[in-house]
Amino acid sequence: MTRAGTVPARLRRYAPFTAASLQGLLQYRATFLINALTAATAVGVQVFLWRAVYAGRSGGMPGGYDLPHLTTYVLLAQVLGLMQANRVDEEVSGEVQRGDIAVSLLRPVSYPLARFAAGLPVSLTNATLVAVPVVVLYALLLPLSVPSPQGALLFGCSAALSLVIGFGVNLLVGLAGFVTTNIWGVRIVKDSVVAFFAGQVVPLALMPGPLAAVAQALPFQGMVDGPLRLLLGRYHGPLEAASILGVQLAWAAALSALAALAWRGAVRRVEVLGG
Amino acid sequence: MRPVSTTVRYARLTWQLSAVSMHRLTEYRMDFLLGAGGLLLRVVCQVAVIGMVFRQAPEIAGWHYDQVLFLLGFSLLPRGLDRMFTDQLWILARKLVQNGEFFRYLIRPVHPLFSLLSERFLYPDGFGELLTGAGLVWYAADRLALTPDTAQLLLAPVLVLCGTLILASIKTLFASLAFWTTNSFPALYAANQLGDFSGYPLDLYHPSLRWLLTWLLPYAFTAYIPASYLLFGRAPLLPWLFAVTAGLVALALAVWHRGVDRYEMTGS
Repeated sequence: MTRAGTVPARLRRYAPFTAASLQGLLQYRATFLINALTAATAVGVQVFLWRAVYAGRSGGMPGGYDLPHLTTYVLLAQVLGLMQANRVDEEVSGEVQRGDIAVSLLRPVSYPLARFAAGLPVSLTNATLVAVPVVVLYALLLPLSVPSPQGALLFGCSAALSLVIGFGVNLLVGLAGFVTTNIWGVRIVKDSVVAFFAGQVVPLALMPGPLAAVAQALPFQGMVDGPLRLLLGRYHGPLEAASILGVQLAWAAALSALAALAWRGAVRRVEVLGG
Repeated sequence: MRPVSTTVRYARLTWQLSAVSMHRLTEYRMDFLLGAGGLLLRVVCQVAVIGMVFRQAPEIAGWHYDQVLFLLGFSLLPRGLDRMFTDQLWILARKLVQNGEFFRYLIRPVHPLFSLLSERFLYPDGFGELLTGAGLVWYAADRLALTPDTAQLLLAPVLVLCGTLILASIKTLFASLAFWTTNSFPALYAANQLGDFSGYPLDLYHPSLRWLLTWLLPYAFTAYIPASYLLFGRAPLLPWLFAVTAGLVALALAVWHRGVDRYEMTGS
């Protein structure tokens, strides 16, 4: 009875972080425009490229994808990318560089959890205010495949897990600010490598065998490829669907643990340097 | 005699300030490796994507794999050069007008634009793009057994230079908007983002997009048109290159000067 009461009370402590982040977002509305344009450009390049591929082929389907399926994949891959662009890496590395992290240490909350609370509204605002217009735009321009209700449901669960994985990756990148000042460079590395192995540019099914195997073994496939396989029904039987979700869950837990560990190590470093 | 001595003075300043920047390179070696290495990795991923695309079809919109690699490599040369010399424009768009620090560049005894850009001359991160671009061009040209004639060999550096000027002008143009709007970062970012289309053959795109990339934001002249000329020996639009470059540079400088005048008016 008492325990049930403490958990919501503890979580309520993080609500101000969410609220403040939301207010900040609404101040910088231009960011939405930038994000929408970036996603729309990326989708445009990919779609034009693949349309030319399909036009130049005599028959058959690359990796089992027909053009509407692949277009849907490319489009929704960017949507997932937008949802995982939670700015946690920027905010954390910025705090480290400015030294504001010292203030955060004084607060009686868990820093990683507070960051998660602040990152969540960014993800959700991106998903609604940015992703919806981009999807509508391309839905009007191009033939897409409509997912089954079951696929949509599985996708919902999987996308939620992908948010946790994306958060873990971004927090780790942000904490790299303790080690280097060129966080811009780390983020370029992250943006290209993570997006690549997540399947954000090309589905894992279209990668050559060894590369696909590497991608399959990394946590990043749970950010884009996993959710989209579930959405487009690209699995055999409920067992495989469950294993996609299970692997995601395991990676989400592992990355959270790793981020917590890295945070502890980082705090120790701050104390040493702080004097 | 005046113009000559002015040119010499600016050339010497560029040289000296670039040397100062090189110190930054050796001082923050890890940062340099991350920045340049990050850009390198980005290109590696891009090449991998092109490779996977071509696994599905031998020819796309009339282009072969090695030709697309050549185009991608060439597009990185002006981009890398531009990044090495004009990165400070991002800072102008983002905050220099907003926080008023721009006045610093007006009180130095050189052209304000030069003064602004010199803050980040030879920005080391650009090396990543420049070297990968050169490597890709070399590799693709070798695989294609490209034998450029004398005209092509002589023109190639000019084409890269014009491409750099076009990129720098687009950047100056959109960054200068900050003088009116105090923060032009979104506009600059959007314009820059559209440049991502230029690393691929424009034949892929819808004609309206192609027109936009040729005449409105002439990214086509930084990669597609010069690379087509070097690859196939023909590019109907190539004669326009100098006119487009000159026009865009003039336009960018005009907008810049108007903006600086405006800044002075509201500054005091």
